[in-house]
Amino acid sequence: MPTIFHVDWFSYLPALVEATLVTLAFTVVSFAGAASLGLLVAVARLSSSRPLRWAAQIYTELFKNVPPLTPIFILYFGLASMGLVLTTFEAGCCALILFYGSYLSEIFRGALLGVPLHQHEAAQALGLRPSRVTLYVVLPQALRLALPGAGTMLVDLLKATSLLVTISASELMTEGTLITSITFRAFEVYLVIGAIYFCLCFPLSRGVLALEGAVRRGMPISPRRRRLHRTVSNFSVS
Amino acid sequence: MVPAEEPLVQPKAKDALHHGPILVRLEGIVKRFGSQVVLDGVDLEISAGQVVSIIGQSGGGKTTLLRCMNLLETPDAGTLQIEDRVICAGGRVSAAEDLVKLRQKVGMVFQQFHLFPHLTAVENITLPLTRVAGMSVADAIDQALRLLGEVGMRSKALALPATMSGGEQQRVAIARALALRPLVLLFDEPTSALDPESTADVNSVMRTLARSGVTMVVATHELAFAEDASDRVVFVDCGRILESGPPDLMLHHPHEGRTKEFVASFSGRGSAGHRGGAS
Repeated sequence: MPTIFHVDWFSYLPALVEATLVTLAFTVVSFAGAASLGLLVAVARLSSSRPLRWAAQIYTELFKNVPPLTPIFILYFGLASMGLVLTTFEAGCCALILFYGSYLSEIFRGALLGVPLHQHEAAQALGLRPSRVTLYVVLPQALRLALPGAGTMLVDLLKATSLLVTISASELMTEGTLITSITFRAFEVYLVIGAIYFCLCFPLSRGVLALEGAVRRGMPISPRRRRLHRTVSNFSVS
Repeated sequence: MVPAEEPLVQPKAKDALHHGPILVRLEGIVKRFGSQVVLDGVDLEISAGQVVSIIGQSGGGKTTLLRCMNLLETPDAGTLQIEDRVICAGGRVSAAEDLVKLRQKVGMVFQQFHLFPHLTAVENITLPLTRVAGMSVADAIDQALRLLGEVGMRSKALALPATMSGGEQQRVAIARALALRPLVLLFDEPTSALDPESTADVNSVMRTLARSGVTMVVATHELAFAEDASDRVVFVDCGRILESGPPDLMLHHPHEGRTKEFVASFSGRGSAGHRGGAS
């Protein structure tokens, strides 16, 4: 029976593991940056300062309406042509942060607007300072509302790291291209590369769903809340 | 019904409190929303230990009056004084520091409870204790559980608001408002959103607080509560205090025509002392 698998995958295993780690590094750094930038931009969009609102809106609209390859090429090839040379990791992360930051800012803006005004008032009525109202009442509720959208963006970002093949960023898709150029077995190679992406993305998607469920059920996620729940349970028993 | 537990606020002789110092003084309070005048020169004094019920038609200004007392709404004119400090005068609020401290002194219980949905009952109470009063987590938990015990909600300490009934949420909200031991507790129609059984439970908690000497201002349609738990009833109509006095006088022998009409409008539903499902 003919088989489609002829490549000596065992010899490519170390390279694939390294490429997978690079893909994960791009994902973690870029998502952390994009989420932070998105949150800041969302707060700026809702600020009372008109210039800040405009600047945030221009950024969001700009990056929402260009293909993701554009910032990748501008940062890697464009800046290099002007004398500023970034590594593939720097250029790739910055491009993904800028691109996904715009989408995440919209998700966070919607989530912040989704926290009812009466929640702000209830916190103010307890004497919480404005910064603490935001930190302990508004942001935790907004992040819960943002979780489904932000989780989807995380998985999307992981897949989008494959675009960095265009700047040979040593991630999975670049490694696949290298193996193909050596073995000439594109069908088999990209099937395996696709399977690796699936193995990374599927558990991530399920993990985000599980996190949503845990948050909805009120399960304490942070160590501080877990300690508090344990203490209350001990009080109740004693 | 709510079980009686050791109260945090010890019962005091009410007569001794009726003549306590003035805690809240409103003078000539005016509040407009656009061209609509919602409060039109309100004068009111609340003394320590007093329970004052504010009655009147919906839209008459009861809620706005309460919200002006802790500056969730800023009056456009008039003076708000808490103890001996002028907090707001002529539409200008004092420095932000005063506003935060004011709200620690004037607690509020909302009609729709407004518990923080992402936190359990006990966390709703430990939040102000740790983040406003600066208490340690262990002390805050101890205090929060005692407060929950007072309102009969200790067994629901780790429940999320979404899993509680309206009455249970309101009792947790009362415990939360009590956490910082405010000088005055404002209640904005606390039983309007509740079924009769939950209303009875919440009223029972409020009566216990009233007997304990907690200073309370209650905007309410519960004339039974106003009659037997208040020291004074204030009738608000079209943004003005038309009449105020002892509950017996206000609910059975009011002077003003509008007050008579308002009280009479409840007559079809029973006598003043037995309305609204209050226990």
